[in-house]
Amino acid sequence: MMAPLRDAGLGAFTFFASALPHDVCGSNGLPLTPNSIKILGRFQILKTIVHPRLCQYVDITRGKHGSPVKILHLAFEALQGLEYLNRHRIVHRALSPHSILLDGEGHVKMAKFGLYYITDHGADVDFPIGYPSYLAPEVIAQGIVKPKDPTQCERPLPSGPKSDVWSLGVIVFELCMGRKLFQSLDISEKLKVILELGCVDDIVTVLAEEHGCVEVIKSLPGNVLTLLRKCLTYHPSKRPTASDLLSDSAFAEISPTYMPYCKPASLFSSALRCADLFLPEDISLLCKDEGEFLAERSIEEVYHLWCLAGGDLEKELISKGIIKSKPPICTLPNLLLEDGESFGRGRDRSSLLDDTTVTLSLCQLRNRLKDVPGEAYYPLLGEDQSNVPHSGSNNELSTSNLPLIIRERDTEYQLNRIVLFDRLLKAYPYKKNLIWKEARVDIPPLLRGLTWAALLGVEGAIQEKYDSTDKDTPIPTDRQIEVDIPRCHQYDELLSSPEGHAKFRRVLKAWVVSHPNLVYWQGLDSLCAPFLYLNFNNEALAYACMSAFIPKYLYNFFLKDNSHVIQEYLTVFSQMIAFHDPELSNHLNEIGFIPDLYAIPWFLTMFTHVFPLHKIFHLWDTLLLGNASFPFCIGVAILQQLRVRLLANGFNECILLFSDLPEIDIERCVRESINLFCWTPKSATYRQHAQSLKQGSDSNGMSRSPASFPTEYQDSTKIDLGRELIKLSELKSEVSPRISAEDLIDLCELTVPSHAKGPTKKTKSSKPKLLVVDIRNSEDFNRGHIPGSINMPFGSAFTADGELVPGPASATLQSFKGKVIVSVGHVSTNAAEFAAHLVKLGYPRVCILDGGMNKMKPTGLLTVPSPQI
Amino acid sequence: MKPGKGKPCYTERDFVYSFHVGSQSFVLAVPLQFPVQENLDHLHGRLMLLHDLPCFIEQDLKKSLNQFVKEETIKDFDREAEQALEAVNLGQVDVGSLANTWMTAYTETTLEHARPEEPNWDEDFADIYHDLIHSPASETLLNLEHNYFVSISELLGERDVELKKLRERQGLEMDKVMQELGKSLSDHDVNSVAAQHFEFQQMLENKWSTELKQLSTIQKQEYQEWVIKLHQDLKNPNNSIISDEIKVQPNRFQESADSSQPLYEEHGQLEESFTIHLGAQLKTMHNLRLLRADMLDFCRHKRNHRSGVKLHRLQTALSLYSTSLCGLVLLVDNRINSYSGIKRDFATVGQECTDFHFPQLQVQLDVVQQVVLYARAQRNQKAKHQQETTNGSEGRSDKVKNAERNQSNLLPGEFYVTRHSNLSETHVVFHLCVDDNVRSGNITARDPAIMGLRNILKVCCTHDVTTINIPLLLVHEMSEEMTIPWCLKRAELVFKCVKGFMMEMVSWDGGVSRTVQFLVPQNISEEMFYQLSNMLPQIFRVSSTLTLTSKR
Repeated sequence: MMAPLRDAGLGAFTFFASALPHDVCGSNGLPLTPNSIKILGRFQILKTIVHPRLCQYVDITRGKHGSPVKILHLAFEALQGLEYLNRHRIVHRALSPHSILLDGEGHVKMAKFGLYYITDHGADVDFPIGYPSYLAPEVIAQGIVKPKDPTQCERPLPSGPKSDVWSLGVIVFELCMGRKLFQSLDISEKLKVILELGCVDDIVTVLAEEHGCVEVIKSLPGNVLTLLRKCLTYHPSKRPTASDLLSDSAFAEISPTYMPYCKPASLFSSALRCADLFLPEDISLLCKDEGEFLAERSIEEVYHLWCLAGGDLEKELISKGIIKSKPPICTLPNLLLEDGESFGRGRDRSSLLDDTTVTLSLCQLRNRLKDVPGEAYYPLLGEDQSNVPHSGSNNELSTSNLPLIIRERDTEYQLNRIVLFDRLLKAYPYKKNLIWKEARVDIPPLLRGLTWAALLGVEGAIQEKYDSTDKDTPIPTDRQIEVDIPRCHQYDELLSSPEGHAKFRRVLKAWVVSHPNLVYWQGLDSLCAPFLYLNFNNEALAYACMSAFIPKYLYNFFLKDNSHVIQEYLTVFSQMIAFHDPELSNHLNEIGFIPDLYAIPWFLTMFTHVFPLHKIFHLWDTLLLGNASFPFCIGVAILQQLRVRLLANGFNECILLFSDLPEIDIERCVRESINLFCWTPKSATYRQHAQSLKQGSDSNGMSRSPASFPTEYQDSTKIDLGRELIKLSELKSEVSPRISAEDLIDLCELTVPSHAKGPTKKTKSSKPKLLVVDIRNSEDFNRGHIPGSINMPFGSAFTADGELVPGPASATLQSFKGKVIVSVGHVSTNAAEFAAHLVKLGYPRVCILDGGMNKMKPTGLLTVPSPQI
Repeated sequence: MKPGKGKPCYTERDFVYSFHVGSQSFVLAVPLQFPVQENLDHLHGRLMLLHDLPCFIEQDLKKSLNQFVKEETIKDFDREAEQALEAVNLGQVDVGSLANTWMTAYTETTLEHARPEEPNWDEDFADIYHDLIHSPASETLLNLEHNYFVSISELLGERDVELKKLRERQGLEMDKVMQELGKSLSDHDVNSVAAQHFEFQQMLENKWSTELKQLSTIQKQEYQEWVIKLHQDLKNPNNSIISDEIKVQPNRFQESADSSQPLYEEHGQLEESFTIHLGAQLKTMHNLRLLRADMLDFCRHKRNHRSGVKLHRLQTALSLYSTSLCGLVLLVDNRINSYSGIKRDFATVGQECTDFHFPQLQVQLDVVQQVVLYARAQRNQKAKHQQETTNGSEGRSDKVKNAERNQSNLLPGEFYVTRHSNLSETHVVFHLCVDDNVRSGNITARDPAIMGLRNILKVCCTHDVTTINIPLLLVHEMSEEMTIPWCLKRAELVFKCVKGFMMEMVSWDGGVSRTVQFLVPQNISEEMFYQLSNMLPQIFRVSSTLTLTSKR
């Protein structure tokens, strides 16, 4: 999928972006994006420019001399690279012998090809791009064009791809002559000479004469000379393009030796990924290559690990003297006018362009990883799952118990995880179950985007689907999207870049257009942000993930009239608060601080509106493993972190507190929500407006997704014992959640004779997890009741002031405080009222049996008490 | 992408594609804007969708669309390029000036072509000093600085004694004269005596200030030479003579001051600290402090601290060339000098100790004055230029305004910056120009003074000033019109504005934790102070205390 590192190294170079004058606002009234951010945004696409003739900041040996045939090869390879760039609408502009590197096998790798593109054709930096001797005449003639006012960029076309052909011509010429051109001239003279070449008949000969090497020209083979003449054509309209030259007769001899390059199909593409796979006759040939294991990993992975192993680009550049920063006290301005313009400091020499590329040493990384066994690079993914996860050393096992933050920064651990996930993802969707299993441990940040897509079950021709969605035709929602994007997670450099904004716009529009029954609600932008951030270069995947996420967790939340969905959701949420934290629930209800006031943005955006990206990632790593009711638990966990302050405060303070949510410890929040989830009976969070699974199954194949912590309840729900639909008003009137008869049977570990499930597994603890409180009168109770239940007739259970009437039953109830307590009656109202009383008294985990005793009767599980002795 | 805006020279061309279905032939014509900005795959998808095109032409359409755009784009590039070449060849563009523009661009911005750097004494010294102060030699360095400080103090002591004597003598003389007034002497005589006295005083003061200046200059020179030498010695430790410890010279002056004023400035200083988190999603932590203190307390060396002087010096010296500087905001009038008010007080404090790194205050102010004139000239030129192009009436009124006032003076909201190594807890001083308007009760967030504060905070961001002292009420002294409501209103405004600016700062520097200290004048009542300290946590959301006990 990605090019392996092989013998390449990492390199770095640096430049300064132009500073914006001073406080200038854009047309939308918001501050202008700094040039460096714009560059950062544009840079992202370069990561996808993968071609054997182009390098990603790789520094190797330089080539200056060679035989004519070698030169021809070199020119051909350079043209291949240029042609690939041209296809991606990128112009190199800074072509020079410095930027044409040779790899270990003597093949061309071009560097710095992205500079002209990422700087918006030089507009975002102070320095001119390119080297004087190699500039094409038309580039010189067009001059240095700088937009005077950054708010409006009126300027002519940037340099075209043919200017690179000229530069290449000059380089080839120098290679042939074995000497540099115009070396004795200063810059302005050089440029004048180049411009004046227009009046010359034969540029190549004239140049040769001027540099005293006519003899060399004469001795050159004909095809090289033709190539030179074609490249060094003064008039761009007559100069061929890179692709023209590639099919030129000059290369007739050597072009057949090169195979055309085609980019391997990526994960989640509709093409057959194994189409180009071929195995040599002799398999042992593959194993012969006893190189270093790290060298087979992709450049992205190696760079990621290099950073984890303590690599820091800025520090490297400082230590090599490329970045020289002065103490800030020496660079203070003397005077600032009211509008912010500063005076009194000359141009800082340290901001001058020094385009030296620094080699980044991989020693530290190699040293760090020297004890990692070779097997760790090739984990086996057989059916036998026991040996899969930790094939590595004991070291790794101990790491897996450390906090997530530390694990994410541990080089060896991340190497193991990345290798494992990389292999699992390559086997997606076949190894989907294993991905789920491993994701429960943790997800390596480098592969989070792809892993999430796998967890969401993204499949199919996503790129084609995205391409064929109309993202350009104006729609009424545009205005709102335009307003929201510059306010969405803008602290992040990537999402605040113009490139990021454009991508936001397209993905959001694609979603709106392709979901005609749903509408854009504010908050969708926040929801889009994590997907876009993780798949910045793959809008289609971001779109596909978002489209898969919404029906799973936010089914029908984006209906034009979504009030019934949201109302039901919030009611269930307040029941969950009462279930898990009665004290807090009582307090909040007392002061009237209902979820409608604070929780809508939480759930509508799945917390993306309230947390910064790095926290969302950790939260969603777990959320994606849970089912649609997991967000309730997150919500309760957040409230519990703020518990002390909420309990101490009244309505106004609570509103203030939530208007700007305090810091939340996200790891603790995740841990607690998992715990809450495990305590929650599956049917307690039943919602009639949730996505029904049968419907979901054919749309995106999600129903077959492996279960989350407990099994997904919908799968096993039998209609007769499941929850029944009730009116919203009725739901709202009940403090505690209802659970289904099936859940009750399950939790009581009763054997259901009618369901031939076979012998139920006996859990280790024989201690009951729950207590059933039968609130019917004692006669009914004696006629038949649920085994293990206690009888507390509703009418006589409570005193006038709401306390429990003392007695043996209430003592039992007290001893069960903290366990799940199910109130069962004939009709729901009494049971609900009884439950509400218990919540008032601070009993946690109180719920009501849906449908009451009548549901249990047909199961044949009721017992009649033996007469008392 | 906003069509039509941004890049001009759009040309529209039709992409024509024909295909056959059975015997029927169809023609698809799509107007395309060149240069093409959008993704061709997306465009292709849209064409297929909107025109309901049959799927069997999908690949062919894609190919010919790509080909068409490629060819047309090349044509555009060629045409532009040829036009540029033509302009040069026809002499419409001067080759010489064109080449020179390129050359200047290269020499000004690239290291390869730039003129070699002239050695910079200041920066070299900065590096050396930074090395030394972070080495064991720092003790020696500080002792030396302290000894210099002591000799300056002694000199100042002598001066004060002599000035006092003179004044006493003159007082006696004047008394005598006054007794004779109306008898043997007239008003005129009294005046001339007074003038004479004043003249003597001036002469004496001048004498002392010259002496002080001289001593400072000598000290600075000695010190710098010594530092360089020490640095060289440390590099080759064989011939080390100088690095012997310098003993602290006992400070007689200091001792006496100690006994007479045991608690000099500690009285009446009130202080409250807060920790806040700012930001909607990503939060940064900052420290805020509300102090009732004199702004110059952060400049003065506290004489009553026996060990404190050196301690503060070390802290300030260590961070002098670091990336955590301390700054303060001084409110000044529109003239750049140190003749009156707080400007004079500040200058006096600055003289108490020699600045071994930066030029003396007066020299720095002279430079600022030059820069102000230069900036005005630049502005005028620009304004004139704009006026020529727009020719609006607005520009003319500006010009009238410009002509009315003295070009060398500051305007409200403008500020100049001075750098110091000799102040107790401050490296950078922002002299913010304010006018009498700040005394009135109705300034808004748009007031120049507030905008000045914003710019100061911005400089703090770009130049790593991590601690900044701000006069909360935008005055250094209380006066009668500053009633309780006035104070509350002003404090609220400044708190709110600073909060807003600090939130902005996150986008300027990516969220660096800072300390902002709000100062209120010393003569404010204790009750008022606590009212203000109650207001602060309401405006900045103060983080809750950390609970160390577990929840359950």
